[in-house]
Amino acid sequence: MQTTGNRTRARSLGNTALALAILAVMLFPVYWMISTALQPDSAVAAAQLVPTSPDFGNFARALETQGGSLLTSIVVSLGAVVVCLTLAAPAAYGLAQFGLRGGRAIVFGTLITQMVPSIVVANALYNAYAELNLVNSYLGLILADASLGLPFAIVLLRAFMVSIPTEVVEAAMVDGANRFTAFCRIVLPMSRNALITAGLFAFLFAWADFVFALTLNTTDDVKPVTLGIYQFIGAHVSDWGAVMATAVLSAIPAAVLLIAAQKYIAAGITGGSVK
Amino acid sequence: MRRPTRGTPQRSVALPLAAVMAAAGLAGCARQPDPGTVTVLNSATNTAEHEANQDHFDRCAEPLGLRVEQISVPADQVATKALRMASSDSLPDILELDGSELPQFAETGGLLPLGDAGVDTSVLSDSAVSLGSHDGAQYGVARSVNSLALIYNEELLAEAGLEPPTTWEELRAGAAALTRGDTYGMAFSASPNADGVYQFLPFFWSAGGDETALDDGAGDAALQLWKDLLDDGSASRSVVNWNQQDVNDQFISGRAAMMINGPWQVPVLDGQDAVEWAVASIPVPEAGQDPVPPIGGTVMTVPAGGDEEREGNAGRILNCLNSEENQLAWGERVNNVPTREDAAAAYREQNPKLAPFADLVATARSRTAEVGTGWPVVADAMAGAFQSVLTGRTTPGDALERAQRQARTGE
Amino acid sequence: MTTTHSPTGTVGGSGGTERDAARRAAERGRTRRRLYQWLFVAPALLYMLGFFGFPLVNNVVMSFQQYTPTTYFTGEAPFTGLDNWRAVLGDSLFTDAVWQTLLFTAGSLLGQFTIGLGLAVFFSRRFRLSGPIRAVLLLPWLVPMVVSAVVWRRIMDQDHGVLNSFLSVFGMDAVPWLASPSVALLSAVLVNIWIGIPFNMVILYGGLQEIPRELYEAASLDGAGPWRAFRSVTLPMLRPVITVVLVLGFMSTIKVLDLILALTGGGPADSTQTLGTLTYQLSFLQLDFGQGAVVGNVLILISAVFAVLYLRVNRADLGKGK
Repeated sequence: MQTTGNRTRARSLGNTALALAILAVMLFPVYWMISTALQPDSAVAAAQLVPTSPDFGNFARALETQGGSLLTSIVVSLGAVVVCLTLAAPAAYGLAQFGLRGGRAIVFGTLITQMVPSIVVANALYNAYAELNLVNSYLGLILADASLGLPFAIVLLRAFMVSIPTEVVEAAMVDGANRFTAFCRIVLPMSRNALITAGLFAFLFAWADFVFALTLNTTDDVKPVTLGIYQFIGAHVSDWGAVMATAVLSAIPAAVLLIAAQKYIAAGITGGSVK
Repeated sequence: MRRPTRGTPQRSVALPLAAVMAAAGLAGCARQPDPGTVTVLNSATNTAEHEANQDHFDRCAEPLGLRVEQISVPADQVATKALRMASSDSLPDILELDGSELPQFAETGGLLPLGDAGVDTSVLSDSAVSLGSHDGAQYGVARSVNSLALIYNEELLAEAGLEPPTTWEELRAGAAALTRGDTYGMAFSASPNADGVYQFLPFFWSAGGDETALDDGAGDAALQLWKDLLDDGSASRSVVNWNQQDVNDQFISGRAAMMINGPWQVPVLDGQDAVEWAVASIPVPEAGQDPVPPIGGTVMTVPAGGDEEREGNAGRILNCLNSEENQLAWGERVNNVPTREDAAAAYREQNPKLAPFADLVATARSRTAEVGTGWPVVADAMAGAFQSVLTGRTTPGDALERAQRQARTGE
Repeated sequence: MTTTHSPTGTVGGSGGTERDAARRAAERGRTRRRLYQWLFVAPALLYMLGFFGFPLVNNVVMSFQQYTPTTYFTGEAPFTGLDNWRAVLGDSLFTDAVWQTLLFTAGSLLGQFTIGLGLAVFFSRRFRLSGPIRAVLLLPWLVPMVVSAVVWRRIMDQDHGVLNSFLSVFGMDAVPWLASPSVALLSAVLVNIWIGIPFNMVILYGGLQEIPRELYEAASLDGAGPWRAFRSVTLPMLRPVITVVLVLGFMSTIKVLDLILALTGGGPADSTQTLGTLTYQLSFLQLDFGQGAVVGNVLILISAVFAVLYLRVNRADLGKGK
């Protein structure tokens, strides 16, 4: 008994060691980024692998200039999540449960939308936005950014909702709820994990958006941090130390969210689709 | 059970719709052109550049009772951004383009000839005039221009007992002699984009190359020189990936004894103390020849179709920015050479270290003077040529023949 | 509840009025329910028409027009028939770009998927710190592309890159990762694999958690080794998740742009030009929006073919309700 316990523990330790090794390889570029950000020299080529005398000047500058942009990014990404889920959840439910005619075509259409390069979308949208006065507005960017996560959210939520037994909803409807309230009271809570996962990915897609932020704004009124990075990238000269510091800072909110939601992701991704 | 069914689902449609309408209403009052504000679209994304621009704009706008608002986007996005704005009738009052992009814009008829906005361009140097004109009309004014020169590591050259090379032969021999250990003798940018093409031009033109007839044989020697530098081991094979920032990065980290680069790197070079540097003219094929580097820089234009008052305001600001005093101050701030001859002379006197740049600008040539709107296609063909030669895929002659075919079909 | 629509109901003849009325009421009820059901889907549908359908149609129309900078000022874009298509399809660079795009996509997917699956299986074991490490592994995904490309250019530098220094420990010669046309595409694939692993791992890990443990126990009672169990239990059970991962991966990989632009700029010697970079070059550098649109359409067409194939394979799974 004693020896098996030891062996299991040894194997677990071995696994942990292997996992840390994988982590080291995968995160090396990220480490480099942080290390460069901590070095005051402007030459990236000469950056030391290990910052011998770490300097937080780059971070201070990044924080000073990017605070507002970070806030904008958070607002826009959260807004995109709300729009995305508001649209995707009922649609996914409808596609999963109603067997609508043309449902296949819609799922196909959802897939097709994944392929339209966002530059193509952005270009066409600009003109429409200019007509609707949506250029330079939070709402405009939120609506556009929601498009990045919507197809994924529909596919994911639909896969999940297919597995919700019809009887559960019908039972609620017998009790007097209409289909919409049943959807809100029964289906949504049941899909909590999938909703969190879809929302998380929608957030990350919106967070990383650069093309929409660039094309749909003509002023600095709505400037997310992906554009803010350009404050240190000029036409000819770039301050890579500050760029890297900004990149590190910009990753922090998303990273926190990602780690906090970690336990929901696995549960949300499949739910039903495996059955 | 029936009644609620009708009411609730509509909410899911009505909500986003209402939100869109509300936003349209809200945004509607956001952007009315304010007569006291002059808008500028440029590529000064970098904080330092942005602030320097704002300073100079303010200096000129305040006496006129105006305010200047800059919109800055990454350099490769300025043109498309401006086009998008044009389609929605929201072009800025001043549009600052890269000199090489000017013909395409002028061709659309969307730019105002500067004379019509009351801008005086008679005091500019010939090269600056050619940078801002298309089909004989002046559409853009450059406050300052840049070019390329040879920047070298004084210490390494002194150690090797070398003077900066003046001919290609000296360049090749010198680069070989300076190559040792981790340090290459020479670094330049041969990336497949505007940077690489800009750096190829001084060699191509100095050899007598002609961008309207890439395959006339004269340019082959320039490609051969680049190829030789790589084959000798005097320059890294990575040059095909390096843009001009990477080249500078290599230089200040001591991995290249000489480099081709422009004056915009001066603040970075000044900001470090690892490398002692100096500037020399670009080497030429044979002793005694004049180098023909490209002239670069941005030009300010005034989009057409605004009302006369706004155009007049833009014109007044441009005139003020291009006074002798302001040009000189601007040139010193961004380390570029002023385009007025009087300001350039003063600049040369005050910045002896950068004098080679000022001299080079005098003989420099505009990229679009001959091919005009065809430049992007020609540049792309040229990039294809040097990339395929440097990676050993083809010979200089064949590469330029192919490039010429490409440039012709692309017209 | 009935979900199949019966067209016969609408053709009803003139029978007894009462029965007819009842049938019509039922019919009306069904239509209303149907309409009501559609209201669930309608907002998303409208949104997608606006945000994807409209640009798509716009792009198709544009590819038949002479769409130049002047168009933006005058609004005039004369139709030129197939001129743009002929010009693009006749260019040898286009053919190269198609092949390179396919190679890039296939290579990236293969790498992302196998490594992602391997990691997902590995992290399904219970060991200390497994959760936190798995979470931190997602970080590469959060790095902006401009930045990761700069970092990777340094790592893959032929002379001073860490990658070559590391390989030289094993006595390997310096590899011209980004400087040689024959290696550059592979390097771009490697970087893209690095970017894609977290996404694949997370989704596949989620799928693995859903497989009932009993199945493995049963398999091991039948004498199946780990490899056998993997093939006969894990893979079949994971199939739906695998398709989702591969399809989403395909869709986002085939249109890749910023990674290549920042890493190699399409070079050296056009060896990493893909359809994405080509459309960028045509539309945004040469400002020939008509030709750029052609390449964009080809890109969408290729993806559509793939999507149709995918639907064929998954006919049973998609678009069908309960």
